[in-house]
Amino acid sequence: MADRQAFMASIRRALGRDAPGASVQPPSETALSLDPADLDARARAAANDASERSDELMDALARSAASAGWKVARVSTLEEAAGYIRSAALDVEAKTVVRSAHELLDSMGIDAALANVGIRAETMTAGDESGREALRETAFHAEMGVTGADYAIAETGSVALLARAEVSRLVALLPPAHVAVVERAIVLPSLDELFTLRRGAFYDGNLGSYMNIITGPSRSADIEQTLVTGVHGPGEVHMVLLE
Amino acid sequence: MKPKTGDFNRAAASALADADVQRNMRGLYDGFHMARERAAEATPNWEDLRDRARAVKAHTIEYLDHYLGMAAENVERAGGKVFFAKDADEASRYILDLAAARGVKTVIKSKSMLSEEMGLNARLEEAGVEPVETDLGEYLIQLRGETPYHIVAPALHLSKEQVADLLQEEIGGPRYERAEDLTAAAREQLRGKFFEADMGITGANFLVAETGTLVLVTNEGNGRMCTSMPKVHVAIMGMEKVVPSMEDMGMFLRLLIRSATGQRLSSYVTLVNGVRRDDDVDGPEEFHLVVVDNGRSKMLADPALREALYCLRCGACLNACPVYRKVGGHSYGWVYSGPIGAVVSPMLTSLPDAKDLPYASSLCGACREVCPVRIDIPRMLLHMRSDLAEGGPHSGSPRASLAERLTMKAWRLAVARPWMLRLANRLARLAQRPLVKDGRLRKLPPPLSAWTRHRTFPAVASRPFRDRWRSELRKSRRDG
Repeated sequence: MADRQAFMASIRRALGRDAPGASVQPPSETALSLDPADLDARARAAANDASERSDELMDALARSAASAGWKVARVSTLEEAAGYIRSAALDVEAKTVVRSAHELLDSMGIDAALANVGIRAETMTAGDESGREALRETAFHAEMGVTGADYAIAETGSVALLARAEVSRLVALLPPAHVAVVERAIVLPSLDELFTLRRGAFYDGNLGSYMNIITGPSRSADIEQTLVTGVHGPGEVHMVLLE
Repeated sequence: MKPKTGDFNRAAASALADADVQRNMRGLYDGFHMARERAAEATPNWEDLRDRARAVKAHTIEYLDHYLGMAAENVERAGGKVFFAKDADEASRYILDLAAARGVKTVIKSKSMLSEEMGLNARLEEAGVEPVETDLGEYLIQLRGETPYHIVAPALHLSKEQVADLLQEEIGGPRYERAEDLTAAAREQLRGKFFEADMGITGANFLVAETGTLVLVTNEGNGRMCTSMPKVHVAIMGMEKVVPSMEDMGMFLRLLIRSATGQRLSSYVTLVNGVRRDDDVDGPEEFHLVVVDNGRSKMLADPALREALYCLRCGACLNACPVYRKVGGHSYGWVYSGPIGAVVSPMLTSLPDAKDLPYASSLCGACREVCPVRIDIPRMLLHMRSDLAEGGPHSGSPRASLAERLTMKAWRLAVARPWMLRLANRLARLAQRPLVKDGRLRKLPPPLSAWTRHRTFPAVASRPFRDRWRSELRKSRRDG
């Protein structure tokens, strides 16, 4: 704490607010940011708006995702989704596919669909220390990772993944290919709605430890400004839009 | 990291003479700068976003202690630890002690300008810990023992051939030629490190005070590796990076990323709230946030320089700057380069040792035009010039020489009094006679000789403008 007190004192000195009794409180907690008091209303409005405009948002997402480098597939049934994932896995000659424990993936019978063509599907779930080591090894050697998504953003062509119980951070990171399955109900117009909902989650006490917003493949232009994909994360990414 | 900020003129001359460097910087304008232009054009209410972001940053900096306190509490609530370091040494020692306590042998690092500022890699190496930069550009300059050439593209100055030599020497195996193959070789090399490392060190693009959320923006995925693989995650952050609310993030991410690379969003935006929860599948067991001052309070204390702390480190001012695009990043002699570097580097190191940096600008204002938070860099450069000339608080030296001050005083007297100006004009016309050739002054004697080293001056006109103006006026009255 000594470090903190000295640090804050030096900031106040620099700001000329070190006189005893000088206020350190801004005029209001959020000052120029949106008021947390209206947060619930804003979150509800965002959700309603997104569901009313879902056709338009799905189209916008398909376009922005494609321009961000996703391969976009629009499918109307779970079977079709599983079929698409299977053929994508065959295309990369996958032997092992790791996946998150998203319910959506369970309900499409993805494990069986892959097993039919001789591909092993491993679900990454929580375990003890040695279990975690083993999972890392598995994910490292897998040719593809499959996840659901918590949100998708039409503005930017992104999916947002929350790390939480039963959803690994590594499925969409370690394998060279990633497939994200996006349901209509999770598509949001823009980043603003996403952060309104996340702020709401914080006030509800379930922000969780981690959120990753993914927009296209891993990329770099560090060598002569030449765009290269697949640096440390997946170089091949698919977004499956489930109508 | 010992600054070489005093060496600007020599370094700039050598960059100008280096054809490779000049060629590698050609893409800055057509690539980054034009991508920014298009992205700004395509973003609704872009100018309003800039205004609002500037206002939010100004407000946050004005109440920096309050917001840092709030952020720290929330990080701790999420299971993290927070350390406030007054300088680079304190911050480095905290990390070294932690590494020693956890028996850390290898550290994987995601790009952080602050880490460069602290010279953290050298400190880790001295302590027997292997630091591995994992951003491709940072990895390359770490192998070369250099500082970043550009805030966003650290290895901008290297040609493919140089990278090929560098990687072959480091990794062995075949010499690759194409950017794809070179990147793949680096990927393979670094993969093992991600698994070995016991600690991940990242910077911070933002810290949301209200929720204690660290926000990291990357394209390669190494930031995600550093925050997911090792057991310990340490984030180092300049104290100005805090922002009030989660609901500000849409605005800040748009401005930062679109100004930096023109992408709608970077490949990965990672938000970290403390440590992995009990039922999380993976993630670090420890999270440490190190908040660093390291000279920033000097800028905070000077109202004329305070807005330098609004900087989002997007690099747009570098790409827009006609000086940076010629002299390149290393001429600035330290970690930060370009227009914002010309303000920040002297303030974080020493202005008297970096006297040329405030002058490394034509004051054309291109940097101010592109800055996502409208930082008035030219105004600050002028402020620093005048600080140096007047012996101000940052100059660390007495005022300019007596001769210079007397000259300026005489100038001020003369231009305010018509009869004196007329007299001075007449004297100058007489005095210049032996020096004029074809209407130009080609070589002035000392102490004015520096003015004609690289250019000529028009001679003082035989008939001053004031006289011509008067007679033209008279003529037009007569004719009119």
